[in-house]
Amino acid sequence: MGRLRRSRVHKGIRDIQRKYRTRQYMRDIDQIHDDIQPQNASKFDKPELDPELPGMGQFYCVPCAKHYINKLSLDEHQKGKIHKKRVKLLKEEPYSQAEADAAAGLQRAETKSKKPKTDAMMVDTTEATTA
Amino acid sequence: MRLEKCYFCSSTCYPGHGTMFVRNDSKTFRFCRSKCHKNFKMKRNPRKVRWTKAFRKASGKEMTIDSTFQFEKRRNIPVRYDRDLMVTTIKALKRSLEIRSKRERVFYKNRMSGNKLRQKTENQALVQKHIHLVDTPAIKNLAQVQKVAQKNKLMDVDMS
Repeated sequence: MGRLRRSRVHKGIRDIQRKYRTRQYMRDIDQIHDDIQPQNASKFDKPELDPELPGMGQFYCVPCAKHYINKLSLDEHQKGKIHKKRVKLLKEEPYSQAEADAAAGLQRAETKSKKPKTDAMMVDTTEATTA
Repeated sequence: MRLEKCYFCSSTCYPGHGTMFVRNDSKTFRFCRSKCHKNFKMKRNPRKVRWTKAFRKASGKEMTIDSTFQFEKRRNIPVRYDRDLMVTTIKALKRSLEIRSKRERVFYKNRMSGNKLRQKTENQALVQKHIHLVDTPAIKNLAQVQKVAQKNKLMDVDMS
């Protein structure tokens, strides 16, 4: 019998396990993309005091979804490469389920509120893929 | 029965297969297999992972705009069963797939059309660059002749 494989899977690595805990789950890029929209800017203008968060939750970097302990460290972070990279990343349209569907050749049908289709051919295709 | 598309690789998630992840803002993500789920957890962008459909479409490897894609749609209004309709639908489905595969073949051919010539010129350039490595008598001779010719030229220059 050969060597058992157990020992070489990266299973018992504590750091990695902790990294992927739900507790560590940060905001996703599409959520942050919503956050940085100008209509949502008011949400982050005057944060409430929260003793659970670093710096009482007063120094929040929106693009990076991260709290800092004071103004100095927040400014320092915003000067840095990681922050600038994130800002650049947020400029492109976030990936969505709609894009996944489109890539598979699945399109969204028009909703009923729009004017009904009268063309015979269109009706034919409408019924086609409901099965 | 609804067949969802995988969030990551855009393949079909059949009932009883894969995983669904519900984020704390109640948005759902479906994954066809653990591979896709793991890649999502690593926060990878499907547009940049080369084996996903999203990548292939985004980078022009596959046909994106075509009338045959109009066929398959997500509809939220159920249709009453009608035998005649079913028959025509299946007929149309087959025909549509046939047309699509034909167009895909043409697309692939066009995409690959310049490759042979490009490969050939690249190969020629490579051979030219490393001609000194080629170990055939003819080329060795040629190299020697050139060397002698150059030497003579130099000597001529010295003499004059």
